Amino acid sequence: MDQGNTAFVLISAALVLLMTPGLAFFYGGMVRAKSVVSMMMLSFGSLGLIGVLWVLYGYAIAFSNGGTKDFVGIDGWFGIDLSYIGLGAQVADAADPSGAYPTLAFVAFQATFAIITVALISGAIADRAKFGAWMVFAGVWATVVYFPVANWVFNFTLGEDGSVVDGGWIVNDIGAIDFAGGTAVHINAGAAGLALAIVLGKRFGFSKGIMQPHNVPLTLLGTALLWFGWFGFNAGSEVAADGIASLAFINTMAAPSAAMLGWIFIEKLKHGKATSIGAASGAVAGLVAITPACASLTPLWAMVLGLVAGILCALAVDLKFAFGFDDSLDVVGIHLVGGIVGTLFIGLFGTGVGAAFGFGWDQFIAQAIGAFSVLAYSFIASLLIGLAIEKTVGFRVKAEDEIAGIDTVVHGEEAYAFGADRG
Amino acid sequence: MNDSTMFLIFCGALVLFMTPGLAFFYGGLVRASSVVSMMMMSFGSIGLISILWMIYGYAVSFSNAGTGNFVGIDGIIGIDLNQIGLSGLVGDPANTDGSQLAFAGFQGTFAIITVALISGAIADRAKFGSWMVFAGLWATLVYFPVASWVFNFTSKDGVVVDGGWLVKDIGLLDFAGGTVVEIASGASALALALVLGKRFGFRKGMHAPHNVPLTLIGAGILWFGWFGFNAGSELVADGTASLAFVNTLAAGVGGLIAWASYEKLAHGKPTAVGAASGAVSGMVAITPSCGFLSPIWSLVLGLIVGVICGSAVEWKFFLGYDDSLDVVGIHLVGGIIGTLFIGLVGQIGGVGVGLLQTGSAAQLGKQAIGVVVVGLYAFIASYILGWLIQKTIGFRVKSTDEIAGVDLVMHGESAYSKSDPRWSRSN
Repeated sequence: MDQGNTAFVLISAALVLLMTPGLAFFYGGMVRAKSVVSMMMLSFGSLGLIGVLWVLYGYAIAFSNGGTKDFVGIDGWFGIDLSYIGLGAQVADAADPSGAYPTLAFVAFQATFAIITVALISGAIADRAKFGAWMVFAGVWATVVYFPVANWVFNFTLGEDGSVVDGGWIVNDIGAIDFAGGTAVHINAGAAGLALAIVLGKRFGFSKGIMQPHNVPLTLLGTALLWFGWFGFNAGSEVAADGIASLAFINTMAAPSAAMLGWIFIEKLKHGKATSIGAASGAVAGLVAITPACASLTPLWAMVLGLVAGILCALAVDLKFAFGFDDSLDVVGIHLVGGIVGTLFIGLFGTGVGAAFGFGWDQFIAQAIGAFSVLAYSFIASLLIGLAIEKTVGFRVKAEDEIAGIDTVVHGEEAYAFGADRG
Repeated sequence: MNDSTMFLIFCGALVLFMTPGLAFFYGGLVRASSVVSMMMMSFGSIGLISILWMIYGYAVSFSNAGTGNFVGIDGIIGIDLNQIGLSGLVGDPANTDGSQLAFAGFQGTFAIITVALISGAIADRAKFGSWMVFAGLWATLVYFPVASWVFNFTSKDGVVVDGGWLVKDIGLLDFAGGTVVEIASGASALALALVLGKRFGFRKGMHAPHNVPLTLIGAGILWFGWFGFNAGSELVADGTASLAFVNTLAAGVGGLIAWASYEKLAHGKPTAVGAASGAVSGMVAITPSCGFLSPIWSLVLGLIVGVICGSAVEWKFFLGYDDSLDVVGIHLVGGIIGTLFIGLVGQIGGVGVGLLQTGSAAQLGKQAIGVVVVGLYAFIASYILGWLIQKTIGFRVKSTDEIAGVDLVMHGESAYSKSDPRWSRSN
């Protein structure tokens, strides 16, 4: 066991955990003052629930391997390792770690990925979702979608030459490169967000420019925490503090910076003014796009990716008005689009694999298969889960509650009570 | 070991961040006219306790009899004169890797936040100067010695061979400070709530939080920092630190879910403040036990304290003490449960020590002694200190100032300009 690596994985896990509160503030600032409590609770609720499920059986599904004696399921697709339930085997490992770091450190690191992926979806259903129904969705979605998909992408064993010799089908059989979760996290959450936006339908008065962010500083605070945590997300995915981790770290600075500039440039061109919400969204779009690619690009190509993602996502967030789906806080426009751009970009400009550098189109095809498999699976599964909830317990609040503001109706709280003690 | 130095430096930074986080957690819960005062009690603690820690706090907390410069009673109270001003650590040829100095920094952040935690009991009505006097005296007479009872020990082959009397003579298990941090601050908060008395208009539902997002910002930062608090208390990044980390997550999420569910069942609606409080209470309870439980038992502990603390915060309305921001209900109650829980299902390196595994209540008895001793000592000392301050310079502001809002009176600041649109409730 290497103490330096262990410390790195643990600190990275703490950084990624902070991203989910960060996301709550990023999203919370963008909704109206009468629904910010609800918006933040969709993230904090995910934090609570998915943390519980991860300890109980999430890790056992996501990191199960066929061939071990307690494995039940189809190797590389769906399965669970029964000895991992409740992390029993991992606790035994912690007493005398066999790897470079205790498995429990990796359990903690990956838990934070599951948590934020679920929380990301909630941006599509702002202002109008029942909290209880969301919690049901979150639990079922994590179980049926995230845990298996994480296995397809994140669960692999490297051979002595550094190539993947075993693991989930996307990483092992297809050979897609996804360093930190462009598919399993961003495309996955983005496609689910699209499905839920369709299931729940549009908010009252949904049209461009109607829904103003109520607290821009809160959104920028959230952006800062997201960016801060994202260094743990991307560099930490190397699970060792080495040259690759350093490359991932630099690229996590390069891409979002360029994307921020790309986004506000488009805003300036289209609307005449660069907004701070645009700058924040641009940075997040760049962070999303670099997530799968952070170890496969040189910093210069990472900047190009950021610029491309910033421009494309800035244009993509207007699609919802054209097509009429109320993806309220742009989970689709940023995470789905940004995730696809970043994942495919590896096939074009990835170091040692990109078609542009004469390595052929094999990697690009592998990237496309990975991206669109996750997209299709997540979208269909989310649509079915969402519809089942809407038809039974109901997913959307009553119309009058939505207009009154769901904070007081669902949570019995008002976000701000400034005037309460004045008179 | 440079690796452990690096780990302690990072964890120290994480824990230091918790005190601003606490300022926001508490700040969002009070009225808009006293949020500056609330945050200043935490920030004031950072300033004062850091200074005291460097001058003599470390020298008191981590003094060992038998060294040439020790003055005092071994294991109870004493000071290592050579460590005053941390001079014994700086330039010590035996500490060229800096890990002892990193440890001194790491432990300083514990002293800071423990003091700051107490301030939640006296929201809206304390004089800042009196608070600072209390904070300095309390750290000197309560925290520094109690920290030596619990945190100061030398192990050999996994056995404590020297150190403070609770950890060495009694055999208390307290991984990251359930007694010295949580119970000590909670018991002292109860004492101060009694000394200062109730706020005007104290009753259930009267004091709505003025800024829920600010409270959640604080909760998020606290959670982040708590990983450094608990995992860092192993002092090296190893399997036990990883276990402590996972358990901090498991108990926190358990507390969040349990408190919100309890609210839903008892009051009809799960609140964001409840979810944040639940997470905090789960992490309070796991603080002493994070190195001694399996993740499943940590989850169970989180679920238990989420419900118990969720109902314990109601006691103040029946019993009539104005523990304004629930330091008693969360830190005292959660700390007691977490510390005793080790006596039920705790384990050290896979070997059970709790009542359920061994059938012996020996460890539970040791845990109970730690709980009672630290709780009583902190309560009595704080009550006397608080009472003396109240009788001399006064601890509570004038009633007119309390009603007008302490921020303007005490600090000459308004948290939000009256042009802030949130003053109008039409949003």
